[in-house]
Amino acid sequence: MAAKSGSASDRKAGKQKTATRRRAAGARAGKAKAAKTPARKRAPAKKSPVTSAGPRFHILVCIDESSESARALNYAVRIGSGTDADMTLLYVRPVDQGLRSGGLEISVARENLLEWGLELPGTKALNNARDTLVELGYLSPDWEQEYKHGDVQGDPLGDNLVSYHSDEGRHITLKLLVSPTVERGVLDQCEMETYDIVIVAMSDDAEGWGPGQIGRVAAETVAVEHHGTVLVARELEESHGHLVCVWDNEQSIMAARRDAEIASRCACPVFLYSVAADENELPQAEAAVANAEKAIREVGIRVSGKKIEIGDPVEKIIEEGRQYSVIVMSSTARTGLRRFFTSSTSFQVLQRARNSVMIAR
Amino acid sequence: MARWEDTRIARLALARSAALGISRLRRTRAPAIRGLAFFLWEKRWFLIALGIGAALLAMPAPESLSRDGWITMIMSIVAIVLFVTEPVPLPTVALMIIVGQVLLLGLDSTTVAKSLMNDSVLFIMGSLMLAVAVVKQNFDKRVAYVIVRATGTKTVNVCVGISVVSGLLASVIGEHTVAAMMLPVAVTLITLTSDDPRQVRRLAAVLLFSICYGCSIASIGTPSGGARNAIMIGYWKEFFFDPTNPETYKYLVDYVTWVKYCYPVFLVQLPFVTAILFLTFRPEYANISRAVVKLRSQIEAGGPMRANDWLAIVLFMMTLLGWVFFSDTVGLGTVAIMGAISFLAFGLVRWEDINSGVNWGVVLLYAAAISLGVEMQQTGAALWVATSFLDVMAPLGVEHGVPLWTAVSTLTAGVTNTMSNGAAVAVVGPITLKLADAAGESPLVIGFITAISSAFAYLTVIGTPACTIVYSSGYLKPTDFLKVGYRMVVVSTIILILAAYFYWPLLGL
Repeated sequence: MAAKSGSASDRKAGKQKTATRRRAAGARAGKAKAAKTPARKRAPAKKSPVTSAGPRFHILVCIDESSESARALNYAVRIGSGTDADMTLLYVRPVDQGLRSGGLEISVARENLLEWGLELPGTKALNNARDTLVELGYLSPDWEQEYKHGDVQGDPLGDNLVSYHSDEGRHITLKLLVSPTVERGVLDQCEMETYDIVIVAMSDDAEGWGPGQIGRVAAETVAVEHHGTVLVARELEESHGHLVCVWDNEQSIMAARRDAEIASRCACPVFLYSVAADENELPQAEAAVANAEKAIREVGIRVSGKKIEIGDPVEKIIEEGRQYSVIVMSSTARTGLRRFFTSSTSFQVLQRARNSVMIAR
Repeated sequence: MARWEDTRIARLALARSAALGISRLRRTRAPAIRGLAFFLWEKRWFLIALGIGAALLAMPAPESLSRDGWITMIMSIVAIVLFVTEPVPLPTVALMIIVGQVLLLGLDSTTVAKSLMNDSVLFIMGSLMLAVAVVKQNFDKRVAYVIVRATGTKTVNVCVGISVVSGLLASVIGEHTVAAMMLPVAVTLITLTSDDPRQVRRLAAVLLFSICYGCSIASIGTPSGGARNAIMIGYWKEFFFDPTNPETYKYLVDYVTWVKYCYPVFLVQLPFVTAILFLTFRPEYANISRAVVKLRSQIEAGGPMRANDWLAIVLFMMTLLGWVFFSDTVGLGTVAIMGAISFLAFGLVRWEDINSGVNWGVVLLYAAAISLGVEMQQTGAALWVATSFLDVMAPLGVEHGVPLWTAVSTLTAGVTNTMSNGAAVAVVGPITLKLADAAGESPLVIGFITAISSAFAYLTVIGTPACTIVYSSGYLKPTDFLKVGYRMVVVSTIILILAAYFYWPLLGL
């Protein structure tokens, strides 16, 4: 990543530095890949990237070094197909605690690593993700590249951002953020930018490692606290469609429509599902499915299937959801306080499901 | 670029640099009630600790403990809760201890201020400055060259080489220094073996743990190996030395005496490190010849030693000799400070590097912890805890000898795994030393056991500085420390007790 393009002392010297340059394929600062890249091309002089007309679709993909991140990235590429989509890849590295290392700042060790020409954990994950985008043809070598750095107190690497701009107006941003915790970093990023969907690649505890690992707590915290749509990616398989769980209230219907719009971007089939606790609630469940179908049709999207069942909603949804790529739930509790004290169906499904869950808002 | 405007960067920097427990951005945008809920949740342990403190303060002191002793013990309990849970920056706890001594114990603020600075604290300051100075000399490549020349390409030999060299260095210059120097060596070997971390998970574990456990077991070898050793030497002098009583002169433990008792304990542990690591992780590659050959060629490209390198070695050796020959007269701290001065005076390190590389909050933290420890002793709180501990343990046969040593070792190891080992000795040391008094044991034996056991922080990332530094490489999981750490704790405890039982008596202890 471009974080390596300057020395540690250079990065520390300035509050923020910006460098815009045209780069060859991959544009990787890592020397290994640089050898494979074609020769540089001079781009026509431009003052700012070209942006396409109309609202753009913004995706935030939060990654670590796990294989789940690779799957989440592939899924994000499918959702982000089309020139109207921008993507941000985010790696959050918890800020180093010099107090825990006996008084010697970890930055001393990190600077030492950088002097050896070694990549730090976050840069490695982002470089790999960027290479994947190039391999998938989602990011082109000829795009304009821009690098920004923000100092973070007590950290030699600080916040780093590399953004790529296509002539068609697509932006892809790779961001290494330093934050007290992973979840706090993701939530801060969500506050600074508006995203249509936030994809959090949740690592299996047995697989994930490193300070920037997105564990269960981090993923669930983001899903609960963020005001927008969050997809917690777990064993994400692309081709099995979205199971949209609806209930007869406005938020649920809106969430269904919201998901249908997202699913249509990757041509994923949408299935509606509602669970009534008993026979008495069956009319409500039927009404929910009918209303959701109507709302989805209004935006020109076809519903691929519908199902209504009676039973425990959480158990039924988890069981049915195993056959789908994503279980889609709406969030009913509006405030963090209520979410904290209420065990909503959405939250229980989020906690207990083994596959991916989207909280649509 | 439109999506990362300067104003947003400024807001991000503001939020990030402040490093508050709650995001300023979210706090300003979210409703007040939500912000308050966040704040309360994030600070819950701070509020709980204060609540516990207030409740205990409202209770009467136990009959056998003075009111001041009771207050000091409450302060210790609150400090331990805050050390472990970290709801506020740790130096805040140090500041609270200082304020508590003035407001709750009624001590004069000048008296409290004086209690914050002694030779142990000077040593901590000096050794941290020396650590930055030594790391900045880039000796790591020379050290790596020595290792790969001597060990060949077999993984097991490389690991033995790393743990031996890390240990020998860490025994004199502090484990954080060596961990910071050796980390690039291990990470280079890992990345040269495979770019994919999944392919070298277990190899990474054995190489990185060879560094941190090599450092940890060695840090007890000499007084300069770690702050906790200097703290224990300070406690012996503070609690037991009486200039008018020649019998107490044995409590002035000098550098060489410490080495005689503790260095063999480190050397005996050394072979077990590689054995336990290989038993636990079984690396994917039995031979890493490709990585070693590449590393050798990288290092050889560095060229011969320069005059500055030789000068740095001479200065460090002089500091080491100063510790050996003059620490009993001028103090460990003074020698460490002189070493730092010499590196600065000869321009081998910039003050800016030292200033940014040392976390000065740690100095404050240790100073306050030592001050509280001394207060525990003076108010009788340490003795009360010690006798209460003995009362509880006596029915189980833990009154003296090996059972008591094992209990002290287990207690210290338990505490040190939850907080910095220096802070653990500062807090636990006064109690265990008073325990020795109450149980009729030698305070020197119990003191050595406490100091050495504080290095058994193998179970957690935050246990020792070396563990924290190797974890920052991103190749280890917190559960890895548990997986291998408990075996290390068991072996180290057994070796320590055997040394206390068979070896130390030979030296007259």
